[in-house]
Amino acid sequence: MKAFVKAVLAATLFTTTTAATAHDMVPAGPQTEPVLLQNGTVYTITNGVLENADVLFDDGKIVAVGTNLEVPAQAQVIDITGKHVYPGLIALDTTLGLVEIGAVRASDDQNEVGAITPEVSGHIAYNPDSEIIPTVRYNGVTHAEVVPQGELIMGRSSLLKTDGWTYEDSAESLNVALHVNWPRAGLNTAWWERRSPAEQRKANAEALQRLKDAFTEARAYYDAKLAGETNGTDLRWEAMSDLFTGTIQLFVHADDKRQIEQAVEFSKEYGFDLVIVGGRDAWRVTELLATEQVPVIYGAMYGLPTRDDEPYDQAYRTPALLAQAGVDFALAYPGYWDVRNLAFGAGNSVAYGLDREAALAAITLKPAQLMGVDAELGSIEVGKNASLIVSDGDILDHREHGVELMFIDGGRVDLNNRHLQLYNKYKQKP
Amino acid sequence: MSSKYHLSGIAAALLATMSGAVGASQTTTVQGLHDNSSQFFALQNATIVTEPGQRIENATLVIRNGKIERINRNNQAPAGARVLDLTGHIIYPGFIDPYSNYGVAEPGERQRGGWRSQPPVYNNKREGGNAGNDAIHSQYDWVDSVKTDAKAARAYVEQGFTAVQSARLDGIFQGQAVTLSLADKIPNNIIYNPYGRHFGSFDKGSSEQQYPSSLMGSIALVRQTLSDANWYEQAFGKQAHNGPVEYNAALQELIEIEREGLVFKVSDDKSLLRAHDVLSRFNVPATYVGSNFEYARVDAIKSTNSTLILPLNFPAAPEVNGVNDHLDVSLADLRHWERAPSNAAVMAQAGIDFAFTLSDLQKQSDFWPNLRKAVAHGLSQEDALAALTTIPARIAGVADKAGKLAPGYMADFVVADGDLFQQGEIQSVWLQGQQVEMKPLRQAVLAGDFSVELANQTLPLTIKAGKRMSGELTLAGETIALRNLERDDAQVQFVFDAELAGMNGAWRVRMGQTSATGYSGIAVSPSGRELPLRAERVADAASAPEKTETSVNYASRVTFPNVAFGLDGLPPRQNLHIKNATVWTADEQGVLENADILIRDGKFERIGTDLRTPRGFTVIDAEGKHVTPGIIDEHSHIAIDRGVNEGSEAITAEVRIGDVVNPDDIHIYRSLAGGTTMAQLLHGSANPIGGQAQVIKLRWGGTAEQLKFDAAPPSIKFALGENVKQSNWGSNYTVRYPQTRMGVETIMRDGFTAALEYRQRLREYDKLSRREKEQTAPPRPDYRLNTLLEILDSERFVHAHSYVQSEILMLIRLAEEFDFTLTTFTHILEGYKVASEMAKHGAGGSTFADWWAYKFEVYDAIPQNACLMQDKGVLTSVNSDSNDLQRRLNTEAAKSVTYCGMSEHEALQLVTLNPAKQLKVDEYVGSITEGKHADFVIWNDHPLSAYASPDSTWINARKFFDRDADLAMRDAVAAEKQALIQKLLASPAAARQGDNGGYKKPQPTWECNTEHDVWLDAFTVHSHD
Repeated sequence: MKAFVKAVLAATLFTTTTAATAHDMVPAGPQTEPVLLQNGTVYTITNGVLENADVLFDDGKIVAVGTNLEVPAQAQVIDITGKHVYPGLIALDTTLGLVEIGAVRASDDQNEVGAITPEVSGHIAYNPDSEIIPTVRYNGVTHAEVVPQGELIMGRSSLLKTDGWTYEDSAESLNVALHVNWPRAGLNTAWWERRSPAEQRKANAEALQRLKDAFTEARAYYDAKLAGETNGTDLRWEAMSDLFTGTIQLFVHADDKRQIEQAVEFSKEYGFDLVIVGGRDAWRVTELLATEQVPVIYGAMYGLPTRDDEPYDQAYRTPALLAQAGVDFALAYPGYWDVRNLAFGAGNSVAYGLDREAALAAITLKPAQLMGVDAELGSIEVGKNASLIVSDGDILDHREHGVELMFIDGGRVDLNNRHLQLYNKYKQKP
Repeated sequence: MSSKYHLSGIAAALLATMSGAVGASQTTTVQGLHDNSSQFFALQNATIVTEPGQRIENATLVIRNGKIERINRNNQAPAGARVLDLTGHIIYPGFIDPYSNYGVAEPGERQRGGWRSQPPVYNNKREGGNAGNDAIHSQYDWVDSVKTDAKAARAYVEQGFTAVQSARLDGIFQGQAVTLSLADKIPNNIIYNPYGRHFGSFDKGSSEQQYPSSLMGSIALVRQTLSDANWYEQAFGKQAHNGPVEYNAALQELIEIEREGLVFKVSDDKSLLRAHDVLSRFNVPATYVGSNFEYARVDAIKSTNSTLILPLNFPAAPEVNGVNDHLDVSLADLRHWERAPSNAAVMAQAGIDFAFTLSDLQKQSDFWPNLRKAVAHGLSQEDALAALTTIPARIAGVADKAGKLAPGYMADFVVADGDLFQQGEIQSVWLQGQQVEMKPLRQAVLAGDFSVELANQTLPLTIKAGKRMSGELTLAGETIALRNLERDDAQVQFVFDAELAGMNGAWRVRMGQTSATGYSGIAVSPSGRELPLRAERVADAASAPEKTETSVNYASRVTFPNVAFGLDGLPPRQNLHIKNATVWTADEQGVLENADILIRDGKFERIGTDLRTPRGFTVIDAEGKHVTPGIIDEHSHIAIDRGVNEGSEAITAEVRIGDVVNPDDIHIYRSLAGGTTMAQLLHGSANPIGGQAQVIKLRWGGTAEQLKFDAAPPSIKFALGENVKQSNWGSNYTVRYPQTRMGVETIMRDGFTAALEYRQRLREYDKLSRREKEQTAPPRPDYRLNTLLEILDSERFVHAHSYVQSEILMLIRLAEEFDFTLTTFTHILEGYKVASEMAKHGAGGSTFADWWAYKFEVYDAIPQNACLMQDKGVLTSVNSDSNDLQRRLNTEAAKSVTYCGMSEHEALQLVTLNPAKQLKVDEYVGSITEGKHADFVIWNDHPLSAYASPDSTWINARKFFDRDADLAMRDAVAAEKQALIQKLLASPAAARQGDNGGYKKPQPTWECNTEHDVWLDAFTVHSHD
């Protein structure tokens, strides 16, 4: 009952509340005293794995990483012998906080009306009191990219901490990327499709033209505004102007080979910094992605094969194929409640050929880089934010995964959650 | 011109004028003059194919008044007969299409496709003694309303057909067909068999009624309806418990179906076997209208001993011209493109009788090209002709009057100008002695090389035939192209530009045939002068190059199933000695290090250390490997065809997943690759009492029957909560009872009460004296209530989809009241709240590892559920309900280690021994125990680790998955696909053309809550669980 003990530890030692009450996890707030984690296995991501090492952080920043660090005055010392320390996991491509219960429409703020909604921002509807969030951070996720959903131009995503009073309090980086859902480029062979191949091709071409037209409009608006020639404010094209000033990145959701190729070509025309999200077929175009230095946020670590004829493990081994070909990539687990399986999904990529260090980087440092926050997050280095997790063992493996401590910006996060609460309540039922 | 070249024109004109007269009937009052034109013909000098394999050269066919009088083996025509010279022609018996809707009214339109926008219809209108279900039309005798339709007939006649068996092709029982001639006469004169076969299909057709909404629902309805017909035969005229037995015309008409037979349309090879299974149990002799997929399961089809009716609609080739098109094309479709034309030949070689039908062809003019394709793929001409004549005559019940050329048979025949199965073309079709001419009997030869005498010059002329004629004239060594070439039956005309006889300009020419090689005509000079022209044909036109294939080399393989990663057959059973493994027994022995396993005859024989290898055993060195029992999934929806829910009515206990097992589903193979060897295929959760479940072993390569695990006792799906009260189905679905959890309880109570009262009536009836039975109707056998009785008798075990604690408790108390024990609550995400109540009742729980928050009733789901249930003594398992999760149930089980510290061996039992117990098959499978089936997995790592994957997966000591073999197979799949694409790219247009949409449609990813009417092709809801 090793994990059981650890759950109780989390529930009692590091929270001030009893387990069975309603959502009353109090945000950690700023770090108030130096903390020294002593004698653990430290996965720095950037400097290898340090055995029997210490991590010292103060004022929200990592101050020292090494062995036998001196204990500062007033420091809280936590013995983590035998445990593993990682940077907090960063979950990309989620709708965390935008939806509480999938089938209950009133609780769903994922999708604004209209095919072209660049003006909406994910953080605006983020519910920091969502019961989902504490269950996700329980599995090591300290930050999540919150992405509006949509048909063509989905809106802008923000990177939020999984602990905070408000979305402002939770903000790590707002409006990081503009998300485009690339129109279908191939034929839909799914069971429900009734259009002929010709009709499908026509519809695909029309959708692509709509998307391109929106960018043309946005660019024209931007140029007109620079020249002082606008008729008035257009929130859609305002939101896209940041693309032309280079202050926001372009994230294109594309799975099919043809979508990826089109997106790369399109993005080159405008000179955008492109990131592919999804990337099921990325293994088919590794040369293009490597040459053009287009990173991929791969989201099908547990995917079924995309096509009937693909090997059973095609989606499983795609991260390994990307790594082999030198494509820059992060791993994501799109969704909301199921985002908590992020580390396990990365573990599955290891089972199918990905190097373990690369898998860890793909859910820590790589996402930090893609979110533009790698100076603060994503690795355990002096000067970076003290966003750390301490796990009972290997975080990628179900057998050992067990987050006992979490710090975001040095503040100790309450790991209690709805599931622990119900668990502890019903353990008491006769 | 000689008279020979005029004859056909006169004959045709004469015959055309006669058609009205021939159509007169004995009972129609004659208006005006009586028509007594001669109906006495002799067709001379013909080759007559009297029936398949019988051929008479230089014979004379004598016909009188629509019938064949005799066939003379010489050129003697009887005196008084009108003689036609058919030198060089072949006469075949007229073709018969045994599956047609000629001359009957079309059904009304109904909404198809998309999401349903109308409120559902649960009951049909009752009128005229019809059936209780609107898809049953057996009361119709189509002879009563059939009409002559000259335009529709023409489409058949053009292909050589002279008779059809016809009914409205609508619904499940479609009524009794009529066999009739396609002659343009009043119906009274063309009916060959007023009461042919019944027609049927699994498609509910124009019915708007909800039930059945799935293939298994249709099969259940066929079963109940045939049973009802048997009952009605005994019961009508007697007293039932609640009044006299109703009049039911639909059942009345089905009483004779055992004698009359059924033509039943199926959509693929699998459904043919399904139909045969249900129909043969009621001794209904059935002929199946097939799909051209039969070749993929020829042995199973052969074993039904059925006759088939095959459409000749081969699919158009998948598009592969674009550089990325291969991404959208599956190997299975490419294979079928190549193999579909071989289907008839494969059936013939297997000794299966079949007829051809024009039905299902998008373009009827494709019939002959496709038939020749079938011949090129190895179908003998004799079998092809039988499929057009004698066999359909038998199916249509007219073998005594049609399908052959013999005295006394109808004068229905086809005249061709050559061998029809090669390049011959139909010249005319005779229906009841009445000719329909397709092209003139004698057409002037107007193509070739000619020597033309014009204006005292000899000019070489060449005319080429073809859709667009062309030609050239040589004058003074110069080649002049002809312009404006046109021809009719007798003459050709054209223009050429030249200086000839001193006149320069455009010359107009017309010439016609006067003898075998002689021609004459006129030329009009540029000045307007008419000059005579004579010509001699010195060489025939070169015949067009052969375009159709004459023999076929296949690039494709045929595997079981016939998709990528299919096998040549079931893998062989092996006797094995597994050495030095870490063995997770999943029984009380726990985990054994460095252990050996001996496997003999498909069973675990011994488990120990340092065992000796018996002679002939294959040794597997498993050092560093882990061996576990095969994973068992209590809740799966893979391998199900055409609907996981019969979600129409609240109780559908009569439907059977076992009727619709789909052995072609690639998820069987993918799940094997994840270590799963057994799954319970459950009906969905759209109604409180759903359908009967089917336990399968994942024997990839087997037929549906071979997948079934017969030793598993019967089970059934119940469901509670949001799905059954249609909470997430939209505002149209608010009329079915129940709409609340209260009503779920009462509808089940009502069902069980009705079942008990039904049993009481059966018992009371049995006690009646013979005299009383003459007055009293037996209770109608009811498959639905019988199934409920099996539950109450603890002969069928309940797996109940459930989430919240109130409904769990409700069902426990209801079961206790009716004195049976619930076997397993499945999903059961709030099981932890009532675990002690479940344990006390004796119910197991099969949960998702960590799903929650996707709908309101799962908001209290927790990943510690399995631990809490297990701790309280509930027999607990973890299930997938998903074709994805079914591939990795080992790590789903591991989540109970992660979240609540379950021991690893116990966690493995969540997906091995415990589900085996829940399925009541633990005496056979679920653990590595001596005497149990050798269903096991060899893992490359600790089986609960994220890093583990199966090296091999075995069922009854047959290796169904092997990582190395898989790596080789993916190369083979890629190579075969490339070869087929190459072949396709090199193929002429004729080999690529065909019907649209002729491939098997991929089956949806069925989930518990997929509510899809497969017949209306409409969705109400599709969501996770």
